[in-house]
Amino acid sequence: MESDGRAFLTRQLHDAPTPGVAGLADEHLAHLAGALCAARQRQAEELTAASEQALAHIPRLLRGPVKKIVG
Amino acid sequence: MVDSTISSEELERNAEIRRLARLLGVVPDELDYLTPLAPPELRALRGQVTASLFDARGVLARMAAASRILPAGLVVTLAERVFGPMLAARIAGLLEVDRAVDIAARLPVPFLADVATELDPRRVADILGAIPPATIAAVAAELIAREEWIAMGTFYAYLPPASVRAAIGVADAPALLQIALVLEDKERLSVVLEIAGTDTLSRIAVAAEAAGLSAQLRALEVYLTPEQRAQLPA
Repeated sequence: MESDGRAFLTRQLHDAPTPGVAGLADEHLAHLAGALCAARQRQAEELTAASEQALAHIPRLLRGPVKKIVG
Repeated sequence: MVDSTISSEELERNAEIRRLARLLGVVPDELDYLTPLAPPELRALRGQVTASLFDARGVLARMAAASRILPAGLVVTLAERVFGPMLAARIAGLLEVDRAVDIAARLPVPFLADVATELDPRRVADILGAIPPATIAAVAAELIAREEWIAMGTFYAYLPPASVRAAIGVADAPALLQIALVLEDKERLSVVLEIAGTDTLSRIAVAAEAAGLSAQLRALEVYLTPEQRAQLPA
């Protein structure tokens, strides 16, 4: 867990936390940032797994165009 | 069920913390340190967390774009069998309204209810407005059966009048009470009650009395019209 919770949270939110949130203890800001970081990581992993799995269900003819769009 | 000893502001705070916990995939107790924050601060934080998760560096938008070249039936299969409710909820708001409504019409109600608990209604307001009231009612009935009061309380603000009427039609007074207490946009309460019909508030008041929640209901008075306030017991 990063020591500067506020900076960690700002990075995770891509935005400065509101004054009330910024006033929380640093360890709590770090926990919040860590939870968001983990949620984004899980989501990214699920998206990657689902994209790969989805290709098996897609007709061969469409797999190329789909891959091209998804990147 | 709501604890009869807590205040209206605490109810709102608890609902916000539970919404945030669901988004982050943690148990609400882990976020206990947020309880000193006022509900508007928590709402703002949830908005920021939602933006961060629903952006996903453009991946979700590319997924939605790719789905456009697939037949709707195949998208339905993929949503149910591969993507699941959480990812489907993230992608839904990026689809064209007609397409999303067509796909929703083909999905089973329990799956739609799962998706509903993961949605950010602000991002799918147009879609919610275009889904037939009968489908909204079926999903509402499923959410009520699951006692998903917070999901229901989040949605009412974004439904058109016909859908509000349909959703209210499947909720009994105790359910409406639970939903009213955690309604996200309390300013909308008087409008929802207006749509619900004249005796709804009286029935909710009876349910509140029976559940020992009259004080919490009374705290919502400020959001009611003078005529509605008059329906509450003195």
